[in-house]
Amino acid sequence: MRWGMVIDRKKCIGCYSCMISCKQSHALPPEVFWSRVLISESGSYPTVSKEILPVLCNHCREAACVRVCPTGATTRREDGIVIIDADKCVGCRYCLIACPYQARTYHADKRKEYWPGQGITELERVGREIYPIQPRTVTKCNFCMERIDDGFRHGLQVGIDRDATPICVNACPVVARTFGDLDNANSNVSRLIKERKGRVLHPQYGTEPSVYYIE
Amino acid sequence: MKLYDWMVKPTPQTEWIERRGILLWLAFFFIELGAGTFFVATFFDNALAMLIGWLICALLGGGAHLLYLGHPFRFWRIVLRPQTSWISRGLTFVGFFLILGLVDMGLRLWAESPLALVIVTDVFAFLVVIYGGFAMNYVNGIALWNTALLPILYVVSGIWGGAGLTLCIGLATGATTLVIMIEEWVRILLIGFIILLAVYLISVRYGTTTGKVSVREIVSGRWWPVMWFLVVSLGLVLPIGVVSSSFVVGIEHISAAVLYISIFCELIGDLSMRYLILKCGLYSPLIPSSSYAVS
Repeated sequence: MRWGMVIDRKKCIGCYSCMISCKQSHALPPEVFWSRVLISESGSYPTVSKEILPVLCNHCREAACVRVCPTGATTRREDGIVIIDADKCVGCRYCLIACPYQARTYHADKRKEYWPGQGITELERVGREIYPIQPRTVTKCNFCMERIDDGFRHGLQVGIDRDATPICVNACPVVARTFGDLDNANSNVSRLIKERKGRVLHPQYGTEPSVYYIE
Repeated sequence: MKLYDWMVKPTPQTEWIERRGILLWLAFFFIELGAGTFFVATFFDNALAMLIGWLICALLGGGAHLLYLGHPFRFWRIVLRPQTSWISRGLTFVGFFLILGLVDMGLRLWAESPLALVIVTDVFAFLVVIYGGFAMNYVNGIALWNTALLPILYVVSGIWGGAGLTLCIGLATGATTLVIMIEEWVRILLIGFIILLAVYLISVRYGTTTGKVSVREIVSGRWWPVMWFLVVSLGLVLPIGVVSSSFVVGIEHISAAVLYISIFCELIGDLSMRYLILKCGLYSPLIPSSSYAVS
């Protein structure tokens, strides 16, 4: 089993729902994003082109971050999800540098508030209790592993049942994201990759990402 | 860079050079300078230079490295993965070098240090000099770093800096023979460093599009004053002038103040070059088809 995601760039409208829902559900501190939407513009009027690229941790099979981590804080689970054990992280940021997708963020300061000088709000306080992110460590997307694990335990279908699906997939209003098992040839993600020639970012680095893009 | 350019155009790494990242820049410099000094000093059996090199590596280099970490008290965990991580290997090398170096210097207080110990300590000193280059070279997302020439450049610069510092110590203590011998090392290493730096920049320039942008940033972009004033003029041209004069007239005819200034400039040039390599390390854009102008 290897969890993976397919993102349909043709469907994505750049609404940032994935980014915001991820930030909200994991109570991410200011300046920390696990999921992002990159929007670029090129050319000049009247031939301007706009490209939208939703990005997140690629949960690579040959993850550079796992190899370079000097403490073993970053590991890859059997199901392919790359996780960080914050208790083992020393904050050297070698993983952050080694990731060619820049999917990781160093969480420097826990005192940072969303409204500077006004103290943390009740929502921030509760969020920090539910989802404590250790300051001065590196953090990144975990494919909502708590939802997947919980759903799996309760016999739900991961990627199909909403309670067993990453929050960014659920939040996408145009169903641009699909989640499932890459090792299962009949899964929705495998079919999409095969039928629509799914591509990964920077294949030249040999990291074998688990996030595919279709056009 | 505008917000929407991020990751769609070449994006600079910032964690190892901005804010507290400055400490890592200094850590790599002092660790390699200290180990380089120790390495050179053992060849000339100069205990004072060995001690100074050891102290630079342990206090300035090690200290800056520890301060950079988010959780310095967990530093012992760093040595747990030497099989895959260059940071882990590097800290292991530094640890062995510091312990063996201390034993070596301690033994020298009473008698000759055993040759085997001197050789093993020197091997670890050399590994300490080389590991920073390999740690950066391993990052394949940054074209400026992902070249086999980078570790070689760092080794030459570490030993060159070490030779310069040992020469300074020789001058300060009046060890004329030592100064004459080391000056030859400095001359050879300086020429080697210039050739390597040129080959390194040219090879990156013609390697990848992102590498081209990185080199352009260094030589003619935002950072050109650092490159041409600090690295080239101060760090290379001035020392070349001094070593050329000493080659012609003999080092004993060169004023000590000129030699001190030359070595100080050499170290400033080395430090500046390392800054540029860290600062201009760019990631390739995520969408290769995206157009970004490269002239």
